[in-house]
Amino acid sequence: MDIHINGQSVKVDAEGDTPLLWVIRDELNYTGTKFGCGMALCGACTVHVDGQPVRSCSYPLKAAAGKKITTIEGMNDNITAAVQKAWVANNVPQCGYCQSGQVMSAVALLREKKKPSDADIDNALGGHICRCGTYQRIRAAIHQAAKDLV
Amino acid sequence: MSKPENTSKTKTFSRRLFLETTALAGGGLIISYYIPAPMMNKAFAAPPPGAPLPKPNAFVQIAPDNTITIVINKLEMGQGVNTSMAQLIAEELECDWTKIRSVSASVDPAYNHTAFGMQMTGGSTALISSWEQHRKIGASLREMLKSAAATRWGLPIAQVNAQNGFVVSKKGKFSYGELAEEAGKLPLPEKPALKNEKDFKIIGKNVNRVDAADKSNGKAIFGIDVRIPGMLYAVVAKPPLEGAKIKSMDKKAATKVPGVVDVVEFYGRVAVLARNTHAAKVGRDALQVKWDNPTNGKFSSDGLMENFRAQAKEKGKIAKDTGGVDEAMKLAKKTVTAEYEFPYLAHAAMEPMNCTINYDGKKCEMWSGHQMPGVDQAVVAAALKLKPADVKVNVVYAGGSFGRRASKSSDYVLEAAELAKVVKKPLKVTWTREDDMRGGFYRPMNFHRVAMGFDDKNKLLAWDHKIVGQTVIGGSAFEGMMVKDGLEPTIFEGVADSHYQFPKFRCDQTRATSPVTTLWWRSVGHTHTAYVMETMIDELAEASGKDPLQLRKELLAKSERHMRVLNLLEKETGWGKKKAPKGRAWGLAIHESFSSVVGQVAEVSMVDGMPKIHKVWAAVDCGLVVNPDQAKTQVEGAIVYGLSAALHQHVQFKDGQALQGNFNDYPVMRMIDMPEVKVAFVQGGGSPTGLGEPGVPPAAPAVANAIYKLTKKRLRSLPFSKELKGLA
Repeated sequence: MDIHINGQSVKVDAEGDTPLLWVIRDELNYTGTKFGCGMALCGACTVHVDGQPVRSCSYPLKAAAGKKITTIEGMNDNITAAVQKAWVANNVPQCGYCQSGQVMSAVALLREKKKPSDADIDNALGGHICRCGTYQRIRAAIHQAAKDLV
Repeated sequence: MSKPENTSKTKTFSRRLFLETTALAGGGLIISYYIPAPMMNKAFAAPPPGAPLPKPNAFVQIAPDNTITIVINKLEMGQGVNTSMAQLIAEELECDWTKIRSVSASVDPAYNHTAFGMQMTGGSTALISSWEQHRKIGASLREMLKSAAATRWGLPIAQVNAQNGFVVSKKGKFSYGELAEEAGKLPLPEKPALKNEKDFKIIGKNVNRVDAADKSNGKAIFGIDVRIPGMLYAVVAKPPLEGAKIKSMDKKAATKVPGVVDVVEFYGRVAVLARNTHAAKVGRDALQVKWDNPTNGKFSSDGLMENFRAQAKEKGKIAKDTGGVDEAMKLAKKTVTAEYEFPYLAHAAMEPMNCTINYDGKKCEMWSGHQMPGVDQAVVAAALKLKPADVKVNVVYAGGSFGRRASKSSDYVLEAAELAKVVKKPLKVTWTREDDMRGGFYRPMNFHRVAMGFDDKNKLLAWDHKIVGQTVIGGSAFEGMMVKDGLEPTIFEGVADSHYQFPKFRCDQTRATSPVTTLWWRSVGHTHTAYVMETMIDELAEASGKDPLQLRKELLAKSERHMRVLNLLEKETGWGKKKAPKGRAWGLAIHESFSSVVGQVAEVSMVDGMPKIHKVWAAVDCGLVVNPDQAKTQVEGAIVYGLSAALHQHVQFKDGQALQGNFNDYPVMRMIDMPEVKVAFVQGGGSPTGLGEPGVPPAAPAVANAIYKLTKKRLRSLPFSKELKGLA
């Protein structure tokens, strides 16, 4: 089937029930999207489908038909740039494995809310696990990105 | 990218260091500094994107565009070695930090740990072990660049200075890139002068992580991201019980899964190979494998704990004894006895175990977050009957480890090699989260019993401490060095060597056995010993009617570092002057591990029967702090790691099987659970001590001590959820 990913239409040869994660990673070689749990428990695999963050490990390929998929590699707006700049300035990543997913959810939040509260951040990022414990810095970085975007 | 070709070579030998320069086709120069090793095997580091290959065993390269590449001989697994170790060299080299990049080293004896004599990352020793070595490398190179410039100008070396990537004098300046070739022909200085701490410009500064950008935009390549053309993806059916063997296997259903290419029996396991990971996993799950039932198969963690408890009644080996404990206990008017139970814990790094391997029958190349790359190389070479030099090891970013990737048996790397031996095609073996959590390497169970004896004025007479624990070091390369006369430090470290001055004190340890395989888990033995010591010290404070901070000061009066940490913590929190807000309580703990001392105060309330941790203050003495902000991240992360375990985590076994398998039944603290963490450093100076692990041990007991104030419950069987919510 054809899918639309990172601004391109590509032909994918995989079963319709294949989780989008493995199409993205193994068939299309966008490795920024990570495998963490396979059960939508950790958020490492978060991508945008029509601009909304979804857990690609639990999102079947067939559901993506006719929709626009964006992975971390395809993020190029000013909100993403502000988030990534704040991530670096706050020394957010440690091992970094979960951070693509965290960034995807942070950008989606900032698109919805220009000035998110701590509770908004808890809600939007609450589904993400970071074993290095970078949560405090993620929170600070989102606040900083919001400020920089004003 | 042009491959380096050797067009000219210059070698200079000195007693201790060894220097080699290599000119590149198309201009440029690599200067390699390394320590000679007679048994050297030449394996190149993984090519960094867009850069020439580092020389084997190089630590530094200077490119014509003045880019300086530092080769990091430790695994970057989140702890920040690619930044902090580069800072050591960059400081002495007087270079422009913005021109620094770091790449991971492959395997070479030059990269061995300076104390352990093998190439490894662990024990919170990256900065301790590299402090002298890396600064000397930087200083040697700086002096040679200065010397080359002085010769060009015809000036004495005393009249030239190295600054920010240039050598400068009254006659002008040369960039390091311009001088590299000439500098490379000079002899290596025997004893280059090292800078004074007061002159540091990069060490002690908050330079940002070199890997932060790539880890925020998806470009960082972890083991699981490595791709080889034509590679197959494998997921493996492993023995459900240690030692179980395949009785029969039906692969019909698996081979029908679309995308599955092959099903292979190997190494007592069955692999499903497919064109993507998902197909391999579906195929693996469709396999019908019947396993035999090994004799030790039917154990449970509850049964094992009863066994540990029974062994605690027997005399073991004495780890520490001041003498006179039994006599003091006989005289005691009051005794307080407490028993503690600690469960098995999984590491649960975000990146599940994986290994990418290419073996054609003659040579092998592999990619992973190798924490002990030399051991992994040797193990794979032996399995494939190759010379180690024919096994090329590429060390890539690890998505966390917490000890798991320092596998005693190179287990997941060896598994991939055994499969490659049969398949002889490029492949990646990926463990599912459940494979990872049930994969058989855990922080071991431990049982402690402490008896404190008091006189009629509630004065402590003796502390009698018994620990039954399972070996961590057993079966590792460190057993001969670290286990003496049956005494294993990972069972009693943090108790037997405690700085508390007790009138009489004894620590007895029993090294128990269990069918469950174990491994170091961030802060190892201190994960349980600090909890017992620090909650019992609070109990001692209560029994003797003293403030927990003041009692610790009395008992630690002779330990300067502990006192500095306690004083800093007192200042930061206002302990004794300020109080926790209504409905909340403060709990305190302090513990030394990996040569550093960390004290913490946790501010806690109870919500729906479980603790809510609002704030944690940490006071840290880790000697000289190389990168303060990055050091803070280590403590912040250690607190989350320690508290996630204390609050929720245990791996239980029933009928020999691990019950927990994913983050639904092995919960991890999330954004909403994150306390505000405030870290302050004792300005110790001197040299750095460990920090990857020392933030973990005090976290759980500080919270437990606060919970007691709120609930009057002493939590002695972990995780807290077990006692607080009856979730066992």
